[in-house]
Amino acid sequence: MSVLEMRGVSKLYGDGPAGVHALRGVSLSVEEGELVAVMGPSGSGKSTLLTIAGTLEEPTSGEVSVAGTAVAGMSRNARARLRRRSIGYVFQDFNLLAGLTAVENVSLPLELDGVPARSARELGLRALDGLGLRERAGSFPDELSGGERQRVSIARAVVGERRLLLADEPSGALDSANGEAVMRLIRAACQRGVAGVVVTHDAQLASWADRVVFLRDGRVVDQTTPAPGPESMLAPNS
Amino acid sequence: MSMIAADRPAPVSERRAGGGGPARRAVTRWGWRLARREWRRHALILAMLTVAVAATIVGLGTASNAAQLKANPVFGTASTIISLPGTDPHLSADIGAIRARVGPADVITHQQVAVPGSVASIDLRDQAPRGTFDRATLRLDSGHYPTGPGQVAVTSGTAKLFGLHIDSLWTAAGRTRQVVGIVENPLDLLDQFALVAPGQISPASTVTILSDFQPGPGNRFRLPSGLGMGFSSRGKPNTASVDALVLALGTIGMLFVGLMSVAGFTVMAQRRLRALGVLASLGATDKHVRLVMLADGAAVGLTGAVTGGVVGLAAWFAFVPGLQSLSGHRIDRFSLPWWAIGVSLVLAVLTAVAAAWWPARAVARTSIIAALSGRPSPPRPAHRFAALGVLLLGAGLALLYFSDHSSGSGGRKALFIIAGTLVTPVGLLFLAPLAIRALAAVAHRSGVAVRLALRDLARYQARSGAALGSVTLAIGIAATIAISAAASDTPNPVRNLPGDQLMFYVTPDTGSGQVPPLSASQLQTVTTRLDALAGAIHARAVLPLEQAYSPRAGLQPPQPGNGGRSIPAGYGVATLSRVIINPHSTEISGMDPLYVATPALLAHYGISPSAIGPGTDVLSARKDLAGLQIFAPEFKAEPGPQPGPAGPGPRGPDILHVAPKIQAFRQLPLYTSAPGTLLTTAAVQRLGLTPVPAAWWIQASGPLTSQQLQTARATAAGIGLYLETRTKQASLAPLRNWSTAIGILVSLGVLGMTVGLIRSETAADLRTLAATGASSTTRRTITGATSAALALLGALLGTAGAYAALLVWNRSDLSPLGRVPVANLVIILVGLPVLAGAGGWLAANREPPAMARQPLE
Repeated sequence: MSVLEMRGVSKLYGDGPAGVHALRGVSLSVEEGELVAVMGPSGSGKSTLLTIAGTLEEPTSGEVSVAGTAVAGMSRNARARLRRRSIGYVFQDFNLLAGLTAVENVSLPLELDGVPARSARELGLRALDGLGLRERAGSFPDELSGGERQRVSIARAVVGERRLLLADEPSGALDSANGEAVMRLIRAACQRGVAGVVVTHDAQLASWADRVVFLRDGRVVDQTTPAPGPESMLAPNS
Repeated sequence: MSMIAADRPAPVSERRAGGGGPARRAVTRWGWRLARREWRRHALILAMLTVAVAATIVGLGTASNAAQLKANPVFGTASTIISLPGTDPHLSADIGAIRARVGPADVITHQQVAVPGSVASIDLRDQAPRGTFDRATLRLDSGHYPTGPGQVAVTSGTAKLFGLHIDSLWTAAGRTRQVVGIVENPLDLLDQFALVAPGQISPASTVTILSDFQPGPGNRFRLPSGLGMGFSSRGKPNTASVDALVLALGTIGMLFVGLMSVAGFTVMAQRRLRALGVLASLGATDKHVRLVMLADGAAVGLTGAVTGGVVGLAAWFAFVPGLQSLSGHRIDRFSLPWWAIGVSLVLAVLTAVAAAWWPARAVARTSIIAALSGRPSPPRPAHRFAALGVLLLGAGLALLYFSDHSSGSGGRKALFIIAGTLVTPVGLLFLAPLAIRALAAVAHRSGVAVRLALRDLARYQARSGAALGSVTLAIGIAATIAISAAASDTPNPVRNLPGDQLMFYVTPDTGSGQVPPLSASQLQTVTTRLDALAGAIHARAVLPLEQAYSPRAGLQPPQPGNGGRSIPAGYGVATLSRVIINPHSTEISGMDPLYVATPALLAHYGISPSAIGPGTDVLSARKDLAGLQIFAPEFKAEPGPQPGPAGPGPRGPDILHVAPKIQAFRQLPLYTSAPGTLLTTAAVQRLGLTPVPAAWWIQASGPLTSQQLQTARATAAGIGLYLETRTKQASLAPLRNWSTAIGILVSLGVLGMTVGLIRSETAADLRTLAATGASSTTRRTITGATSAALALLGALLGTAGAYAALLVWNRSDLSPLGRVPVANLVIILVGLPVLAGAGGWLAANREPPAMARQPLE
């Protein structure tokens, strides 16, 4: 079953001669447990694809559905509810909230959804435990290393009943070892049934995906399945 | 590393759509924690809030206590004063009859004691220290109250005048008494008197009886002596106006707090834009995003209210002595409108929350992608704000126009005043974006640095508009106070002298009535002694002054004068008076002294005799002389009633009254006892008048010391003259200057907060400029120009708004507004932009930061 379904999605910024077509009729379907990598040069529309899939932006035309729910026509509050219940987002620069500890950052989407603080904290601690960060649960973001921050960010993206994990250059601010570790965690999440979309420039990291989608000038120009190679040998699904 | 377990919280279907209480608690917790973590960034907002709340408290205290200024300080708590003449032959019987008729009453006997060598007199009064109604008018500062016949207590001014202290002896009114205490009238600190024990004054000048008696048609009664009584009633205090003033001050204060907070929270919202974008990307609703900012506002508002309350009370306690000196009456430190202060503190919190709501709403409406990238929303078109601004400004001025005293009930007037005071500045605030746009539009004529600065003001209109609004309001309040104080300060009806001048009069009647002639030897003695005095005090000039009389009247007999003095026989000199001739009587009022424009006097003022027109009678700088005539008696008066205000006078043929031709000379002094209205020598000849030496005017080289004044007084007493010196009068100049200083300081604080943000947001531009070779001077100029431009616009808008409101408010009599506080306005219009520009230039010395975007963590 498709968790993310995009059909003929276009996005136009501005209008008239100054308008920029970020996406032109893109269609993409991501199944449960599938990890899709999106690659392409700068300005090809990768990040726009991700923000539309994450309901952070609305497409100019086309249809998007997440977890079987059509996004078109939803109110801002309904989209917010969809994001906190079904979509997890991992940013390149972590985007953890200062002022909240690691476990509070992780449990925040649950609390926003009405889960009592104590239960949300318990679930957050278990999520951090799963990523080997239980002992850093009480640390604030500025007390964590880059790799630890991104792991907290991933925990926040998968905690609860999330079905779609979107990651925009999740290893862009990390060294190669930490980058590999992050991809391994995302891969693991997908193995548990979460559908994942990862935007990356790095072909080595894209090899962790089940499928690679190439974008150029806002169009899908190619879709491939990565050939098994040395990098794939490291992947848990290899 | 273990894998994430498939955690499942409570079923989704059981949760509320908006997250309910847990969501609100989570975002509120984050908001409060952010406020705590970022307290340094809040410091300026907090400081401004604290200052605004404190200023509101001090303003409320001042306004409520200033209302007491209008209460007559001789009434105490009584509503009526009955006056009896001291010459009443049945005084005791009359007092007894009054007591029997009016019930509880306090009787005070007065005797005027002349001050040797001075035109002043002291009120010697017997008064029971703890009377029913007059206890509020008497306070013991040291020593004790007089209890016996040989004892007296004096005010500090009286003690200084006569060189007295506790235990010293004082001879006055033919009796020697020992000073046993220093007293004061707490309701009028300028009231100088001496207090003796009840029953110790004889003969009395007047007797006053304080009571709650309400005179009226049904309350008439006759005294045993058959004399008439004088009634004075306090009248009802105009509480509606006082309440309106207090409430208007409160609302202005809160508006000010709100504006500054909007500017501050806009800054905070911009700094947190990315974090709030992240919150929204995690599934927070618009309401959750707003709640973060509102929690922040509540935290800041609560802290600001508490600290502002504490600082305000401390400032009020420190300000009370100065206010006492300014208002001339004692003020109870705890005499504050506590209810209004409580309301203002609550309003401060609510205002801060409301101020945070506007930027919170704007942030919540920003697209998540724009928020995540830290891009502010594009500015809205300025003309929409301008149209609303013009509408509100017009409405505010109209409300002030219709709140005039001449129409409507008290409550309605108060409502109009409050609404007008509130709406007018709000209208000005909405004009702020248009002013910024207009300034940016003319930027193309300036250099690149100034051009960039002015255009960035328009680009970051949300920030600069709020800042300009705050500066406009701060300056508007300061300018309103300065202009109003200047309008109320100068036209003091009581003439006075500067501190470096002395006037010696031949008559105790200070030059307006009857001048006794001096013999040649007396004149020689006076001249010699005054020249010696002038040398002793290093005087710059000694000018003999002459007045003129009609020889047809001849020498007038002695007359009773003020202060228990007798005016010796002399000539009835010409005055400038209002003369109304009725069929059976003539009313003379006004009676301003006219001094002869001698060549020496004209030379002192730098007026060339050739500049005086041939037909001119009177020289003056005053503009309020229309309808006045040169008046001089041409009759031989009998001892008794004399022409004077409201009194019967001789018929027309017995007086000289001529409508004068007046020529204006700006060099002549106004509102002083120094000779400012002069009778030309040509007019003296035309009218057949004869000059007579009337006074000597000494101009010292600097303010006179107490010792010099004592010497002058002794000299006057020695040669039979009467000395006038500067008397202490309340001045509003300190209020004017303090309001200007505070307005400028607050404006500079707002500018510091906002300009820093605008420049940090344009750090990328600065990097580009630096890369293209711009020096630190360019960076400094950009920041300095940003700051100076905002300051100049705020000063112009604030001053213009203040004048617009005051012109409408004072439309029935605009003449007081002609007295412009030039120094204060120059400081505001020139000093503030220069200070702001210099501050920005000095503060912009740092290299541009490496990252243009604000980091999230």
